[in-house]
Amino acid sequence: MEIEVTQDKLSKALNNVSRIAIGKVTLPVLNNVLIRVDNNKVSLVTTNLDMAVIDFLPVSDSKNGTVTVPAKLLAEFVSNLPKGEKIKISAKDAKVTISTGKYKSVINGSPSDDFPELPEINEKEAVVFKMGIDEFKDGISSVAIASSNDLTRPALTGIYFNTDNKTLCIAATDGYRLAEKKLIKNVESEINVIVPTSSMQEVLRAINEDMEEIEISFNNDLVRFRLGEVEIISKLIDASFPDYRRLIPKDNDITVELDREELIRVTRLAALFAKSVNGSITCESKKPNTFSVKSIANELGENDSSIETEVDVEGKIRLNSRFLIDALNALNDKTITFNFSSRIAPVILRNKKNQDYTHIVMPLNS
Amino acid sequence: MYNVWKNVLAEVEQKVSAANFSTWFQDTSLISTENGSIIVGVKNSFYVKQLRSKFIDIITDSLIKNGIEVKNIDFEVQSTNKSKVRPREVTPFPDSIKSHTKSIKKTFESKSNNNGLNSKYTLDSFVIGSNNDVAVAAAKSIISSPGTRCNPFFLYGGPGLGKTHLVQAIGNELVKNNPDYKILYTPVSQFYSDFIDAIQNGKGKDFNRKFEKLDCLIIDDFQFIVGKEKSQEEFFNIFNNLYQLNKQIIVTSDRLPSQIKTVDERLASRLTMGGAFDLQLPKFEDKCAILRAKAELIGAEIEPEAIEYIAENVNTNIRDLEGEFSTILLMSEVRGLTPLELIQNGSANINHIRKPRLIPSKQIVEKVAKYYDLPVKEMCSKSRVAHIKTARQVAMYILSKELSLSTTKIANEVGVKDHTTVMHGIKKIESDLKLNFTLRDQIEEIKEKIYG
Repeated sequence: MEIEVTQDKLSKALNNVSRIAIGKVTLPVLNNVLIRVDNNKVSLVTTNLDMAVIDFLPVSDSKNGTVTVPAKLLAEFVSNLPKGEKIKISAKDAKVTISTGKYKSVINGSPSDDFPELPEINEKEAVVFKMGIDEFKDGISSVAIASSNDLTRPALTGIYFNTDNKTLCIAATDGYRLAEKKLIKNVESEINVIVPTSSMQEVLRAINEDMEEIEISFNNDLVRFRLGEVEIISKLIDASFPDYRRLIPKDNDITVELDREELIRVTRLAALFAKSVNGSITCESKKPNTFSVKSIANELGENDSSIETEVDVEGKIRLNSRFLIDALNALNDKTITFNFSSRIAPVILRNKKNQDYTHIVMPLNS
Repeated sequence: MYNVWKNVLAEVEQKVSAANFSTWFQDTSLISTENGSIIVGVKNSFYVKQLRSKFIDIITDSLIKNGIEVKNIDFEVQSTNKSKVRPREVTPFPDSIKSHTKSIKKTFESKSNNNGLNSKYTLDSFVIGSNNDVAVAAAKSIISSPGTRCNPFFLYGGPGLGKTHLVQAIGNELVKNNPDYKILYTPVSQFYSDFIDAIQNGKGKDFNRKFEKLDCLIIDDFQFIVGKEKSQEEFFNIFNNLYQLNKQIIVTSDRLPSQIKTVDERLASRLTMGGAFDLQLPKFEDKCAILRAKAELIGAEIEPEAIEYIAENVNTNIRDLEGEFSTILLMSEVRGLTPLELIQNGSANINHIRKPRLIPSKQIVEKVAKYYDLPVKEMCSKSRVAHIKTARQVAMYILSKELSLSTTKIANEVGVKDHTTVMHGIKKIESDLKLNFTLRDQIEEIKEKIYG
């Protein structure tokens, strides 16, 4: 096996694949990256048996063959080589030689026989969606923040892809807040699966400026993301997601429009005083035109800021400031709507113009 | 099948490296061996190819060695959420929760007795007296025509007065009359923990659906719903569904729904629309009747005088009454004396029940003031405002009944000048108690707070 490739391309590809190869897995070969050359097509592959990352590497010259090399070592070595250099990698009996100009090193690899074969998506049966990479990135990252990392509740550690009224929606919740984004409208197929948030984060990290479109294929217990030269295959979470649409309140009677930046600022101020009470702050709408955010910390003092806005109905709600700030950061309009009720019901946050994204935060019991 | 696969795994373990074994075989299982088509369950698709290409020969060999016919081997991704340990199962009191979830399941799967009902509670063993005759009449009308009159049936009363007994008896009678009748008895605490369980496992919808099929739902100790808004909402939905289908709903609580804090008004009013029935403290004659029935039930011999003595001296509730009764019977068995002899020679001293421990008088005054939301100073002032005066008189009454203090001492404690004022106050409360049930409940609650 032999390839010739530029340092920046190789380094980028290794960065993409090596992250998941640094695991606590018991099988040593899973810490390796598989380099496979087949008719001038070079792929770098890693897997942790929950997901796999494949990066197709554009090379100038190559000879067929396969080998596996400790992924982290190779990635770090290559990233420290001078930029723009041409790197030559050749393997003979699992000894991998990396040479470029003045630098040369030999890494002990291992034969590719031990490297697990990857599962394949059945192209005929798969449910496939395509969309712009920017929308995808915005959508996923705005929803992923609400996802939980509590492994005892597997359904909540993923992002729920589901179709509702011909719309592909994604949602995540950790029990305290919930985010939903309508991703693609007018889809034909139906889907109802949970993708691990950790896999989604790998997909997000693999995104770069050159990419334009992403292809998502679901099949059996697998999902495959194709973006540019990267392909990520992940298992799906075997659990059922809560019927989250029922959690979104329908009869919240108080709606105020607020400047997003300003609300973030006052929430941050209030949060400073709310540390000892677990970030609990009180939001209150007062007629005719005040929305105030308050917090009290007995030993520190207290904070009371207000924003001017039109108020029709008065009400009060206690929220966790961290969740509120997260939600506001996930929104992007200049003006947002803050929809709540004085009964104990979650607050609904949305962009004023574009209603595709919904974020709800549970109130704290007062 | 489980054992065969264990043997196979043991053999495979010797043939492959430890790393390979723990990576590839750890979460496998044998799903089917029918007609030589073997199906092996694996964690996810990532495992299929590797097992097939690298280990299929070893698996085949081991299976044949274990006497399994092998034509072909297939791998199937199996659901993992069943086999995984759920967090609930390591929390305290796992037994009650587990056994209850089981009972729920069985109720819906079969028509067996696993509906949360305890068959020892029957209507025959429920002693009817002036303290509960109305509630029992209502219960009987439910048994003869469930879901029509008295729906929902709301039963309330202090602890140990037979709420659970009566509602369980209704359930048992309904099942006896019609074995196909689908009933579920669940204390609210279990309802709540099952609900949380269901949500955690992403089965919130199924939870609701399970209740839809019921003909009769019995919820015990409803007052513990306090502070569980989500469960309350869920219960409200279930309640509405069942009610619209004219299914019988039975709820017990230690007080009226409107007196339970944080219970939604909509729910509170709905719970009592079929009528709220209370179980009261039994009177002396009732207590004697209860004890005689109990003696008959367990076949014990006890002198009427002993029964009267116990009935006279236990004034808290029926549970304590029965408890004391059992203790005396047990003692009489151990010591070889008749119950009456025990009582006469003073070994069976019941008075401790009535006064579990001596509470400082100051504390009682404070508790009463707190209950009525008054500062102690204000309560012990000379104010003649009605509610302050009543609070003060309640304090006098409790001091006199619980601590048997002299009226002069009580006068000191509550800040009145004259012991005759105290005598009047106690008399006033005593006469009010006969007519005013709210006051009686209040005093019971205060006592609970004092001793709790």
